[in-house]
Amino acid sequence: MKKLIVILLAAVMLLSIVGCAGQGGTQPAAEQGKVFNIYAWNEEFKGFFEKYYTVPEGVTVNWIINPSDNGVYQQKLDEALLNQANASADEKIDMFLAEADYIGKYVDSEYTMDVTSFGFKNADTMYDYTIKAASDSNGVCKGVSFQCCPAAVIYRKSIAKDVLGTDVPEEVQAQIDTWEKFDAVAAQAKEKGYYMTASFAETFRAFSNNCTMPWVDKDNKLQFDPQITAWMDQTEKYIANGYTLTAGVWDAEKTNQMFKDGKTMCFFGPAWYYNFCMTNAQDKENGCVGDWCIVKGPQAYFWGGTWLLAATGSDNTDMLKDIFETFTTNEDVCSKLVENENQYPNNTKVVEKYAKDESYGNTAILDGQNDIAVFAELAKDIKWENHTNYDQLLNEGLQNKLQEFYKGSVDKETAMKNFYQYVKETYATITVPEN
Amino acid sequence: MEKQIRRKDGSLKSVSYAKWGFIFIAPFFLVYIVFTLIPQFLTLYNSFFENYRDGLKQIGPNFVGLDNYKELFSPDGNGTILVLRYTLNTLIMWLLGAIPQFVIAMLLAIFFTSYRLKIKGQGFFKSVIYMPNLIMAAAFSMLFFTLFDMTGPIHYVLVENGIIDASFDFFSNRVTVRSLIALMNFLMWFGNTTIVLMAGIMGIDQSLFESATIDGANPVQVFFRVTFPLLMPIFVYCLITAMIGGIQMYDVPQVLTKGNGSPNGLSKTLVMYLNSYFGPSKNYGMAGALSVYIFVITGSLGFFVYKRLSAPYKDSARKHRRRKGDVI
Repeated sequence: MKKLIVILLAAVMLLSIVGCAGQGGTQPAAEQGKVFNIYAWNEEFKGFFEKYYTVPEGVTVNWIINPSDNGVYQQKLDEALLNQANASADEKIDMFLAEADYIGKYVDSEYTMDVTSFGFKNADTMYDYTIKAASDSNGVCKGVSFQCCPAAVIYRKSIAKDVLGTDVPEEVQAQIDTWEKFDAVAAQAKEKGYYMTASFAETFRAFSNNCTMPWVDKDNKLQFDPQITAWMDQTEKYIANGYTLTAGVWDAEKTNQMFKDGKTMCFFGPAWYYNFCMTNAQDKENGCVGDWCIVKGPQAYFWGGTWLLAATGSDNTDMLKDIFETFTTNEDVCSKLVENENQYPNNTKVVEKYAKDESYGNTAILDGQNDIAVFAELAKDIKWENHTNYDQLLNEGLQNKLQEFYKGSVDKETAMKNFYQYVKETYATITVPEN
Repeated sequence: MEKQIRRKDGSLKSVSYAKWGFIFIAPFFLVYIVFTLIPQFLTLYNSFFENYRDGLKQIGPNFVGLDNYKELFSPDGNGTILVLRYTLNTLIMWLLGAIPQFVIAMLLAIFFTSYRLKIKGQGFFKSVIYMPNLIMAAAFSMLFFTLFDMTGPIHYVLVENGIIDASFDFFSNRVTVRSLIALMNFLMWFGNTTIVLMAGIMGIDQSLFESATIDGANPVQVFFRVTFPLLMPIFVYCLITAMIGGIQMYDVPQVLTKGNGSPNGLSKTLVMYLNSYFGPSKNYGMAGALSVYIFVITGSLGFFVYKRLSAPYKDSARKHRRRKGDVI
């Protein structure tokens, strides 16, 4: 009996050893690692990385991609970071991507490292806010952004012509340069049978990124900025008047409005929006490339952005430095990002070159307008303030809970209380307004 | 089972074969203890602690007694005790799917096993009705989402024919969203139930059906007087496993409503609620308390169903035995 158990246990142990062996034992501490692990939430940066960065010979790059929805990416990343100290050299995260909505959580922690520790220097050509966002409370910078995200109103020229009688950017801008005017145009559009925006949450960022106070106060109490309440009021009106749709900002119902037969005049987004959200507009058969222009709109704002953060414990510091430089200071790569990828790079020198270049125009989606010149103007005003680590899920949650109200399944009060309950479940540390 | 063997020197050596039985069942018990029993106790233990994460900082674990349970059963801002609402949601959606599931499965099982019908191509039909169960629930749910979404083909066809309004959203209406979830669960599970019930019916002695027919019983009488009572143990087994599965309903509504349980949390199940505590805050305390609650609900419902449904069967079995004894 005993013998048998011993044999059984031995067999089990042997099997588990064999099973683990594949995952790579600890390697002798080499100067630089052979495996470079990157955590990301989509394929966007992966595409640029594979095109424009030459991986040093002998290094394998692993992409670990988890979707961002419902905070899945953050959860997976957190688990991996908390385990970073115990992971073998080749298993450790070397670099991870973070969005504006939660970058603070990682920057203000011991899990990211000072970029100067491996010899990277922030360049003068980088936008200040991108450095501030990647710096902790002591001003130590932990990463870089490869893009700058000033956002604009992207409008359909043919619809603007029909509604406003003009499709020239300057003239359109003059008619929508305040929210009051924007609302008035929405009414005009409605009369002509158009929607002003295609999602109740389309204008959210234009408000939320101009907040004067963060989502939570010093005591971690939930608070509503006047900008957020202004958005809620506007949206409620837009839904009631039929100026917009009840679709969420990422829903197919909204993006279908970008087809040729779409009835929506305005979309709100930065440069990454073209590739990421406007694929329907670029559709060969049903799209409408060239029927678009951008203007500042009622309120300057920025939206999102992807930062590359250096993970503490990385054994590929040379490569980290190299990647950071490639996507920020390398003018050749930054130019390609503009020309081939419709990006707005984090390099003022390259940006200026295109902004001044009369021959440059975006034809991938716009009518040949020099969008870089417009974005360059907007980028000057971006400030990084009033952010909390909770932003992503609070923004998402507020939109989701209010959507039920806009769709008519609950009243506004219930929707708000459902939001408070959601906050309580999601973040145990935040206090919500009393019932 | 002990057997004595006489050695050559005349002493007795006992050989126990029972140990082989224990050895063969040991792996199950080991796995059960390590992966189920210990975690169950740990869950209970965790439910008494404040234990969550704020960003990358860990808070707790601090002993808080029954606070998590109090929190779980206190009403939210709208005056609803959420855990009760979600329990009700879960049960309603399960029943909506389970009732047709059992009725149809029972009918099919009887058709397939009937010696009078002798349905041809049974293998084919059995495979086909089992098929939906082979698809991953999340994928199945995604399929339904795509079909019934505002931009989906079904929505389009119904709007074109004037049956629904263009602004009608299947996922914002309590009745449609719950029905869709129930329909999916039904489609996925009725095949499985049919197969198990068929096995149960085939285990019944055919001569009983024949003699009942000869005695003049019609098919309905045969079903209620012969088939169903003898099928009871299998039926109860099916019902209880289906119920446990129903209480653990998660992936179908989660994917269909993108985790929101819309509208107003009316399609949110208990396990979806559990999952919401496992977001960024990794709230082991609250999730533990909720898990204990789900365990209690499952246990008591299971016990109740088992007692109610198998009691008459047990009585009849006892009577049956006694009668046998009388003859002797």
